[in-house]
Amino acid sequence: MGQSATDELSILSPPPRVLITKIGLDGHDRGSRIVAAYLRDAGMEVIYTPPWQSIESVVQLALQEDIDLIGVSSLATDHLIIPDMMTALRDARLGAVEVFVGGIIPEQERPALIAAGVHKIFGPGAKRDEIVESAQQMAVSARKNKQQEFGG
Amino acid sequence: MSDVNQFADNMVSRVRAGDIGALARSISLVDSFSDLGTLIHHSARPHAGHTEVVGITGPPGAGKSTLINALVAGLRKQGRRVAVVAVDPSSPITGGSVLGDRTRMGEHSCDPGVFIRSLSARGHLGGLSANILRVVDLIDIAGWDLVIVETVGAGQSETEIAEIADINVVINAPGLGDDVQAIKAGILEIADILVINKADSPLAQRTERQLKAMLQLRREECQQVPVINTIATDGSGVDKLIEAITDKGRLKPKRNKKERLLERTRRLIAQEAAEQVKQLVLKDQHPDTSKLLESVISGDCNYDQAITRLLSQHYTQSKQNED
Amino acid sequence: MSDSKKTDSQSMADAGQQWEKQYAQQIGNKDRVIKNRSGIEVQPLYTPDNLQDSTEFQSKLGFPGQFPYTRGIYPTMHRGRTWTQRQLVGLGTPSDYNERLRSMLDLGATAISLIPCNSGFRGVDCDAVPLPLLGTCGTVVNTADHMDTCLDQVALDQISTAMNDPSPFTMFAFLLNVAKRRGVSWDKITGTSNQSDYLSHFVANHMFVRLSLPGSRRVLVDHIEFCRERVPNWNAMSIVGQHMQQAGATPAETIAFTFASAIQHAEDCIARGMDPDSILPRFTFFFDISISFFEEVAKFRAARRIWARIVRDQLGGKDPKSWRFKFHGQTSGIDLTAQQPINNISRVAIQAMSGILSGIQSMHTDAYDEPITCPSEETAKIAVATQNILREEAHLCDVIDPLGGSYYVERMTDQMEEEILKTMEKISAVGGMYKAVESGLVQSMIGDSAMAYQEKIESGEQKIVGLNCYQDEDDSMEEIPTCRPDPEAMKRHVEAFKAFKKARSQRTVNNALDDLTRAANSDDENIFSRVVDATESGVSQGEIIACLRDELGFGQPLTIA
Repeated sequence: MGQSATDELSILSPPPRVLITKIGLDGHDRGSRIVAAYLRDAGMEVIYTPPWQSIESVVQLALQEDIDLIGVSSLATDHLIIPDMMTALRDARLGAVEVFVGGIIPEQERPALIAAGVHKIFGPGAKRDEIVESAQQMAVSARKNKQQEFGG
Repeated sequence: MSDVNQFADNMVSRVRAGDIGALARSISLVDSFSDLGTLIHHSARPHAGHTEVVGITGPPGAGKSTLINALVAGLRKQGRRVAVVAVDPSSPITGGSVLGDRTRMGEHSCDPGVFIRSLSARGHLGGLSANILRVVDLIDIAGWDLVIVETVGAGQSETEIAEIADINVVINAPGLGDDVQAIKAGILEIADILVINKADSPLAQRTERQLKAMLQLRREECQQVPVINTIATDGSGVDKLIEAITDKGRLKPKRNKKERLLERTRRLIAQEAAEQVKQLVLKDQHPDTSKLLESVISGDCNYDQAITRLLSQHYTQSKQNED
Repeated sequence: MSDSKKTDSQSMADAGQQWEKQYAQQIGNKDRVIKNRSGIEVQPLYTPDNLQDSTEFQSKLGFPGQFPYTRGIYPTMHRGRTWTQRQLVGLGTPSDYNERLRSMLDLGATAISLIPCNSGFRGVDCDAVPLPLLGTCGTVVNTADHMDTCLDQVALDQISTAMNDPSPFTMFAFLLNVAKRRGVSWDKITGTSNQSDYLSHFVANHMFVRLSLPGSRRVLVDHIEFCRERVPNWNAMSIVGQHMQQAGATPAETIAFTFASAIQHAEDCIARGMDPDSILPRFTFFFDISISFFEEVAKFRAARRIWARIVRDQLGGKDPKSWRFKFHGQTSGIDLTAQQPINNISRVAIQAMSGILSGIQSMHTDAYDEPITCPSEETAKIAVATQNILREEAHLCDVIDPLGGSYYVERMTDQMEEEILKTMEKISAVGGMYKAVESGLVQSMIGDSAMAYQEKIESGEQKIVGLNCYQDEDDSMEEIPTCRPDPEAMKRHVEAFKAFKKARSQRTVNNALDDLTRAANSDDENIFSRVVDATESGVSQGEIIACLRDELGFGQPLTIA
């Protein structure tokens, strides 16, 4: 990350607030716990939910907690409802929040997620540094967007 | 009016009108050390004083979050609007944290009458976020009847909650190692209500006896502290707890909105004053101060005298800087 | 004396020292400490010194079918009867399931394992779930009728089934219903409630959590009691190590936690008044088989020895049938990669071989596309063929415990035993597995191991072909077609289910649910018995689980590592 970007990150106060969650039906959360730990160790405030969150509860949580960044873990087919989640976030005026998805997303189904507004997709084997750096960039960007949206 | 002031007033109006997004954003701004946050709080201040603050503290493993979940359910049944501020410790090295308390309150995630916010202590030694009072004020003006502030309290240093809350509930659970470990001097002193959670444990009765015995040794006021048994996982005892909280609210000297606000403002200023003085003393490189410190070491001057001298010195100095 | 004769008469100790020197010289600075997944150091060479002496043979190894069963729980093992080939099948609608099942049976699978749709694990019926999520990872089974379709043309009294169904075992209840309809008596029903271990779900696979911790505890004991009386040839208790190993526990930790759970469950049953020998013979185990080949063999051998001793000396089992450690194994999906997935065929073959050499009773082999999608018919075939090849061509079954006597394997078996017992001590120290899980101790231990392993992969210390070495520039998952159910067929299935609910007698349903509620609130009624009754009255899975959640609670088991 460039020098000015690092500076931007360090003056973010409060630090980036990240929601790590799973929606839909699958409950395997080994990977999402590890990502939560990575981001905590990188100085972020991570709100971690159990699996099976409804889209509605994700939206409410993102709203109440002033979330900057949402990381959704999807290993089975739950990614199929992520576009619905993106719509719900926008409807709740949370369009400034950036979203990344990690897990098993078949190649041919990725474009649909990007088209729906997902910023980044991590496959299995994504490395820690890659995830942390991306998250930092997305957090800085989300804050900027929020400032624009709220003014001031 | 400047743009920034305009923005602050605007935010406050939105918060008072029930805009959750604005409330959440304001809390973030106020919880940081930004000027904008200060302005927002300043604009919000006059409208605060309505909400009751209940502090809930206790050692890790006592079941605080689960109990709060049950408490919120009970309060909602009574038609009250409840907010929860859950404070978790942060890593002293990276500054990061995993804020997991709200995972136990999942059943309320879509109830518009419940607002839950997770805060990181960010290294603040009292176990609370440094800006907790400001955060409470914001939730106050947003129209919540009751704010529950949850924090980990394991020893004497985590008694700051007493300064914040109108009513202090200390939760303990049997079998967490030494049964009175968690009820060290400091915590016991601040409790308005004592709760023994996981009351179905075979050790619960013993814990209750020990607690009551310790209460007998305390000051008069402490002997009026009710001890309530709960089983948070199935809601047992929660009704009694709500009753106790309501009773305590009535028993406390009758306070109207203005008095409550005065009290909280005093605490806030005391807190910030202490922090400011601390920073001044720590950074003081003046040769006179070094001499003063040496005289304390040699025994020519005691601590009290040194403090009085420093305070009057610093007050005068900062006043001079202002003029 | 000639030189060669001199060499022959050289003492073993001297020769050993000479080898050490030559080894150090030749390897130079390329030597390094190697530890297996359980953290045990692996030496370059093992010798007779590492073997137990002959006096220890009886106490530490024994003959197959004799205490402590280290070499095998039966006298004949695979030479007499090979392991059961029980492949997991689960996708789409009940008709889809039935079709795939029958083709698997034709190809060589010898037992049934039904995986329900994720919505089933969540405890909700298909009409409460977004359509695209249904049937993608398992079969949608919400009523006894659905189960009937699943098992169409399957002889229930001749084939063993596993229902992958956690508390309150509704799928098994459906099966009993179907058996009743077909006039098959329940004492002919064989198989396993292979996800009956609620502790493992709370600790390590939240996918399977449906009721609160204390609620699950109660239902499990009811279930075991019911089966003991009414379905005597069914294994009601399967203690599961799979989830913990998949969540990151080391192989040694996995056995330790699993045995601690088994002890907890056994004690709960004994506290209810059940005689140990009336339940322990039907306790079976379910494990992952990782690709750490020799470690897995040592793990299972040590497990047999430890379990025999626990049952005899701690739990009061007097019948030798109670002492036998029986297990089903699944080749571990964790070791498979989404990159260059076809390599997973090799991986599964190695894992399966390790399972066979460990003396496994029943095994499932993964299809190579498992990390990406629910297996297609073609990839599922290959998985079965892998077992067939190992069984028929590699002659692995000719000798019982063929790795026994290997200096390495015997030494590693002993060392795994030490590690396992050490971890079990930690659990005893906090008052047993239920308490350890409640307090989050086990979860944080597993979290630590998971992190440690992840770090090994990130740093490259643990190499994985295609992932952190030998990567292919062209790597693309596009080549693997996803296997999804036909949306139209699923829609019809959901509509049919809605119609079924409308056509039912609501009164009968309500009565059944009232009975269930009453049982849940009582101290002495058997909840599972009421579940079986309810399924007969046409109550759906989702309705049963919702009812029990209301009465018994729904736990939030999460502890962040």
